[in-house]
Amino acid sequence: MHNSTKIGTRFEGHPAAPNVTLEQVSFAYPDEQIFRSLNFTVQSGQWTCLIGASGCGKSTLLRLISGILQEGLSGQINFSNGNNHKGLTAWMSQKDLLLPWLSVVDNVCLGARLRGEMTARKRSMAMSLLEDAGLGEYADVLPSSLSGGMRQRVALLRTLMEERSVILMDEPFSALDALTRLKLQDLAARLVEGATVLMVTHDPLEALRLGHRIYVMTGRPAKLSDALIPPGSPPRNPGDSAIISMQATLLARLEGRDNA
Amino acid sequence: MIIIRPIVILFGLVLIWQTIVLVTGVPAYILPGPISVAEAALSHAGPLCEHAMTTLLEIIAGLLIGTLLGALNALVMIASRSLKRWLLPVLVISQAIPVFALAPLLVLWLGYGMSSKIAMAVLIIFFPVTAAFYDGMRSTEPEWLELAQVMNAKPMAIIRQIRIPAALPAFASGLRVATAVAPIGAVVGEWVGSSKGLGFYMLHANARMQIDIMFAALSLLCIVSLTLYFLVDRTMIKIVYWQKEGNKKEESHL
Amino acid sequence: MKHKYLIVFFIVTALLGGASNALAASEKMTVVLDWFINPDHGPLFIALEKGFFSRRGLDVRFQVPSNPNDPPKLVAAKSADIAVSYQPQHYLYVDQGLPLVRIATLVATPLNTLVVLADSDIKNLAQLKGKTVGYSIGGFETVILKVMLESQGLSLDAVKLVNVNFSLSPSLFSKSTDAVIGAFRNFELNQMDIEGRPGRAFYVEEYGIPSYDELILVARRDDIKSLKFRKFVDALEEGVQFLVNHPDESWELFIRGRKDLDSQLNRLAWRDTLFRFALRPGALDQARYQRFAKFLKKQGLIKKIPQLDLYAVELPIGHP
Repeated sequence: MHNSTKIGTRFEGHPAAPNVTLEQVSFAYPDEQIFRSLNFTVQSGQWTCLIGASGCGKSTLLRLISGILQEGLSGQINFSNGNNHKGLTAWMSQKDLLLPWLSVVDNVCLGARLRGEMTARKRSMAMSLLEDAGLGEYADVLPSSLSGGMRQRVALLRTLMEERSVILMDEPFSALDALTRLKLQDLAARLVEGATVLMVTHDPLEALRLGHRIYVMTGRPAKLSDALIPPGSPPRNPGDSAIISMQATLLARLEGRDNA
Repeated sequence: MIIIRPIVILFGLVLIWQTIVLVTGVPAYILPGPISVAEAALSHAGPLCEHAMTTLLEIIAGLLIGTLLGALNALVMIASRSLKRWLLPVLVISQAIPVFALAPLLVLWLGYGMSSKIAMAVLIIFFPVTAAFYDGMRSTEPEWLELAQVMNAKPMAIIRQIRIPAALPAFASGLRVATAVAPIGAVVGEWVGSSKGLGFYMLHANARMQIDIMFAALSLLCIVSLTLYFLVDRTMIKIVYWQKEGNKKEESHL
Repeated sequence: MKHKYLIVFFIVTALLGGASNALAASEKMTVVLDWFINPDHGPLFIALEKGFFSRRGLDVRFQVPSNPNDPPKLVAAKSADIAVSYQPQHYLYVDQGLPLVRIATLVATPLNTLVVLADSDIKNLAQLKGKTVGYSIGGFETVILKVMLESQGLSLDAVKLVNVNFSLSPSLFSKSTDAVIGAFRNFELNQMDIEGRPGRAFYVEEYGIPSYDELILVARRDDIKSLKFRKFVDALEEGVQFLVNHPDESWELFIRGRKDLDSQLNRLAWRDTLFRFALRPGALDQARYQRFAKFLKKQGLIKKIPQLDLYAVELPIGHP
């Protein structure tokens, strides 16, 4: 993959990515209280990882921030540059969500197409994104011809095309094999530099590789631990001894709090 | 290769037919053998083709109008929840009424020409087309819709760019059913009142106990229906170009 | 005195035994009618109700077909013994190989009529030129029309033909047709009177069609050696005889147990059919039947003229 300075600095020169602040946020499904008076801040310009057991509520938190989930919410979710969260986040899911009838490049441009903002400039931006990610020759191909890893790469580019400074990711790489996952983590870390990223993952190593800050979510209603801040900047070397020992810490926190 | 298989199947069926006739000794006025049917078809080729054209036109017109109405109805039902509550019962009723009961009424209202037969065909296919398209649009992958929401997509864009293409495979199913069923509407309409068409021709032959001619007309009707189905099937494969069923081979339903 | 009861017991048992013997000896016969039960079938039901069949040891059941074209096929396929059929169509069926033979006549005149609305401006057949004529498909109508038009110097192209199936008078009322052929003069005309929109009739046999028997009884050629058919015709003859002598009582017998037949239309049709029944059902006018065969061949409806006794017979007398 090419190392293009153009993409690496895509968020520089933009207004600073905002904080996302949750104040006294409570949320319940009809039969279950998920959060009660949760207070939490996602730091501006940093990659925050949320880790926790399945079903603990981490995806729900993401969906509340994205605006997909609204009913049953009380409390405030604020973006520090004053916008309400509608129109400000980009979403990446575990499924690549590529539309099978659109070519790869059309999928990358999906946001603009849906908003009626499609231009030739946007298309050439998408093309250069694809080329820099090593997928240039697949631009006009249908997603069904691509492997799982390639499709998720395209999904990542689609997320970037949104040019939104808050990026929400729900276990985006968990469906991929280990090697592809590592490569995509590297690519993502480079491409989203400067944005505020909140990523949910169940993989402690992934959190340690990518996150500036890591929070463990446990309990019902869910609570967040204190932040774990790994040394060095992402993407980190998985063989690093600090990383390996922090993995043990993370696992302990996950297990220890699970008994509560 | 794709032509050979149907021909072999057809040949096999004809062989079985001839065997049944020979073995059971069934009289010709109940079940004629394939050879006498072929002879009847050849000697009456002119009128048979003429009447076939009429019925074919009725079927095609019925298909086009019925598909258009059905698709529009499904779109309205998706776009407006309140309208859907009114349209859904109408849709179900249209399916529940047997067309045989409606046929004489239609002929009374629309006359003995092609319009009553076209109306019959439209009535028969309206439900399959609407239901298939509506269901397809309703069961769009929810995560696509969520992604579109986060992207601030315009509501019309969601319908046009996501729901409709996602529903096209289901719509194609409905259209295939419609193509198989539309000929029934046209022929029943002809039975009730007409002066042309294969259904009308079959009635005439039956009344004169010319069962071989009746079977010839019936066979021609089958050929027409099958050809139409084949064409629609192939067209839908082109339209739903992204459905590759995993192994990248286009599989026709035939 | 106990013996009194014993004697009664034996007498009753003997009677019952005798009766069941009679029943056991009776032959079952299935007769498929041409259409729903209507006054055209009068003599058959009089014979049934008066016991003329059972007196001859016949256990007769009548069947109503779902399709008027079925009865001859059913008899040919041995699913029934006798069918009510039409003399004109009979030749067509025989020509197509059905092994059927006419054994009796039910209605000895044509019933088919060309009908227009009485208030229409079609006062004679020549005025049909350029008009629309509706018909039911029976196999024969277009030929009737052609011959009737030829009697006026017109060809079949002079009119527009439309198949209205069985909606004959409705199509006249709604003006979608100017005339209809295939209407039965004892029925459609009365129906139109009842609706308050009377019709004007043109009788087909008065315009070039040779006279024929509208309703006949047919059976399988191989079966008629059996005496039961002669007995059937004898019972039918007795039925016509009773009907002619006691028309009012016959009506009551016709509707006995079949209340849905008691309609104004059927009463009027009964009156108009009475004088059309064959007084001698078993009799065959050979020349009349051969004349009609020649007519059909000339019109191209049959390929060849069959030998008479293959398709129409008088059944010979049974054992004394």
